[in-house]
Formats: sequence, structure tokens, C-alpha cells
Amino acid sequence: MSLSVRKIVISGILGAIAILLGVTRLGFIPVPTPAGHATIMHIPVILGGILEGPVVGIITGAIFGLFSFLQPGAPFFADPLVSILPRLFIGVISYLVYMLTIKLNNVLGHLFTGPLQKIKASMSPGLSGSLEKLNNYLPLILGGAFGSATNTVLVLSMATWRGYLPSEVSISIGVLHGVPELIIASLLTVILVKGIQRIRTAEDKN
Amino acid sequence: MELTKNITLGVYLPGETIIHRLDPRTKIIAATILIVMLLLSRSYIAYAAVAFFIAMIIVISAIPMGYALRGLKPMLPVLLLMWIFQLFLFRDSDTLVLFNWWIFEATEAGLHMGNLIILRVLFLFTVTTLLTLTTSVVSLTDGLENLLNPLRKVGVPSQELVMTLVIALRFVMILAEELEKIIKAQMARGVAFDQGNFIQKTKKIFPVFLPLFVSAFKRAEELIIAMESRSYTGGKGRTKMKTLHISRADLTAAITILIFTGLMIYINIATEPFI
Repeated sequence: MSLSVRKIVISGILGAIAILLGVTRLGFIPVPTPAGHATIMHIPVILGGILEGPVVGIITGAIFGLFSFLQPGAPFFADPLVSILPRLFIGVISYLVYMLTIKLNNVLGHLFTGPLQKIKASMSPGLSGSLEKLNNYLPLILGGAFGSATNTVLVLSMATWRGYLPSEVSISIGVLHGVPELIIASLLTVILVKGIQRIRTAEDKN
Repeated sequence: MELTKNITLGVYLPGETIIHRLDPRTKIIAATILIVMLLLSRSYIAYAAVAFFIAMIIVISAIPMGYALRGLKPMLPVLLLMWIFQLFLFRDSDTLVLFNWWIFEATEAGLHMGNLIILRVLFLFTVTTLLTLTTSVVSLTDGLENLLNPLRKVGVPSQELVMTLVIALRFVMILAEELEKIIKAQMARGVAFDQGNFIQKTKKIFPVFLPLFVSAFKRAEELIIAMESRSYTGGKGRTKMKTLHISRADLTAAITILIFTGLMIYINIATEPFI
């Protein structure tokens, strides 16, 4: 296996953003829960997976994990099995969900072309427009959401399995932090991917 | 908003002690062995042995104790909380109940579990801190690259992987400057970042994140062109200006860590958990 220059550079720079969000505390969103803050440090990893594929996702996740291992924000991140291992899967899951949704969208789109056209004709133009938009964004929304959920679920299961948190506490942290993180992650994924893709197509035209 | 001033990556304390001068490979391997030992140990005696070993390293490397443990301070409340969780919520059959009040039940097994977990986290943290305090980031990446080199034979692009790490570390500062500019530009447009409730505050990260990521991707494209036009082809056949050498001190360190590993394995086999 060899890595292209493109994969090396993009993983490195996305890893840099993850570290930057950590050291500037910008990656922490103050959520009104006892435990303090939700994190969005895993957004670069999700983007890496969706924009550049699973390999970049894994490498960016590794850099993110390594950073949170060396400068742990919570005590149990001092255990590499909690801080590094789960982060390797974020980008891969995001990529798989994103691709799968696109495929499903295509297949179902073809299957339902006939009936959908009929329903569309009877809908108001506003509604059919927003339906189309939702269809467009769905792969990104789901990719971001599943990536974020992967981070929450795997990190907390690992922390529970290793004995740092009792399962009751893990579940409540998972709900209180995981849900806002998931919402923010899917919104940011849509906005950032669309923004970056627009820049890329503009540059290709030049 | 002075972001670039407050960034410290790898708090290296330069020094001339034996620990500082050890080959980074020796230190990385030693830290890895210590971490694995800590993850596997479940008895107080084993932790006491690790504590003694770590104390020796701190003394030899002449690192001020307070400085080494400074990073622990913000974690203390969470550590205490973790200890309380274990004390009251750890469930085990046939264990001594220490005290009982309303729905809270503190058990002996819970107490030991809490103690061991706190000790483990504390020592893991100290080991990684010691590694970064006595080894500069440059020699850490150098050592890592060298250690991963044998994996090339089975197809792992080790040097390229370390290259991504080097790029990441290099770009943290560059992107921090960029981020500072973006935040100042948005503040000049009237965005008050420190005001509002949770949802309003969250909304304000969007006009910061998009420009940050777009500019990061533009820089990435530039760097790709720069590296490709200089014919970067990865690690194959690359030589180093500074090569790493194993010294006598490294051998001594290796023997010490081997003896310690043997002792730890013996302790873990010979003692019951929680003793």
C-alpha cells in the first residue's frame, strides 16, 4: 500500500484542525450539563472520511486520538484504548454511511421515478423543492450523524468496558452530550462539505 | 483573542540528564511497555512498583515535581467524581457493604475498583507527560518513524504516516494565525462570541468554521502542488541528516526496563487482584 501526496497532505491538515480545536478550546461547546461540554473536535475526521475516503478518515482519526491521548481533556483519555482506538472508526463509518446513502438514493430514485414524479406534480413547488434539497443533503446529514454517534458510542463503551465509568453514567453522558454533538456534527458536515465542494468546482473551472 | 500565544504543543523541558539524552526510540518503547503494564495491572503492589519506577525517572531526569504534575490539576474534580461513581455504582456479588444510606450503597469492591482506576489514570498521565517533557517533538517523530520502519516490509507506509503527523504539527500554528484573523474579522463585523445562550453561542461557530476549513483546504492544495513539483515520493530510499544512534545509556535503560517488565509480570501473576 502506498499513500498519495494528496492523502498525506489532507490527513495532516485535517489533523492540524482537530488539534487546533483542542488547544484553543474552540472544539468544546458549552452544553448545560453537569459534565461540562460537548465536543466537535471529531468534525475534521468526519470530513476527511466523506471528502477523501476511508484511509484519510483513519489517519485523521489517529492524529485526533493521539492528541487526546497526549493532552487528555478527561482523565480516562489517558488510556489509549479509550482515546485512540475508537477514533479510528469515525471516518470509516462516515464514509460508508455517506456512500451507502448515495447508492440507496440512486436506486430508490430510479425505482420511484414514476410515482414520485406524479406526487411531485401535485405538490406545491416550494415543498417539492425542499424535498429535493433534503434528498441532496441526506447523505451528508447521515454521514455526519453516524460519524458523531460512532465517536460517542465507541468512546463511552470503551470507557465502560475498561471500568472507568459505570454503565448508568455512560448512558446519561451519551444522551446529554451525544445528541447535541450529533446535531451540530450533521449541520456542520453539510455546510462545510458543500462549501468546500463549491470552492473546488470553482477552481476546476478556472 | 491572542490564540497563537497560548498554544503549547508538547511541553518539552530541555535538559542534559541521561533521560533527556536517551535515544527517542528507547524512550518510546519504554513508555509503551509501562503503559501496557499499567493497563494490565490490577493489584496495589503492582502500582506501588510502577510508582517507585516513575519516581526514579523523575529524580534522574531532574524535572521539577510540581511542573510534571501541573497538568493534573484541572482533572482532579473529574477524578474525584469517577472515584465516587465506582464506590457507589460498582456491582459485585458477595462483597462487604461498607455503608448504606437511601439508594446509595458503598461496597468494598467498589472502593478498590475506584482506587485502582484513579491510580491507573494518574500513572498513565504521568508516563505520557514524562515522555513529552524529556523528548522534543522533533526527536519523537524521528524515533517513531524509525520504529515503524520495519513495518514497510509488510506494506505499511510508515514514513508517509509520520509525514502526516509532521504536517499536522506544523500546520497547527499556521492555522491558528488564520483562525485568529477570521475571529477578529467576524468580531469587527459585530459578532459577539462571548454572549448569548447555548444555542446562540453554537450558531456563532458556523461563520468561523467555514472560512477556516475553506482556507485549510486551499493551503492543502498549494502544499500538494509544492510537494509534487519537488518530486516527493514518500519514504523510499530517503536518507537523514541526523541519524539516531544507540548509546551505552540506551543499553542500560533497556536492561533496566526489561528487569522491571519481568518483575511486573511476576507481581501480576503472583498476587490476587486488589492486594
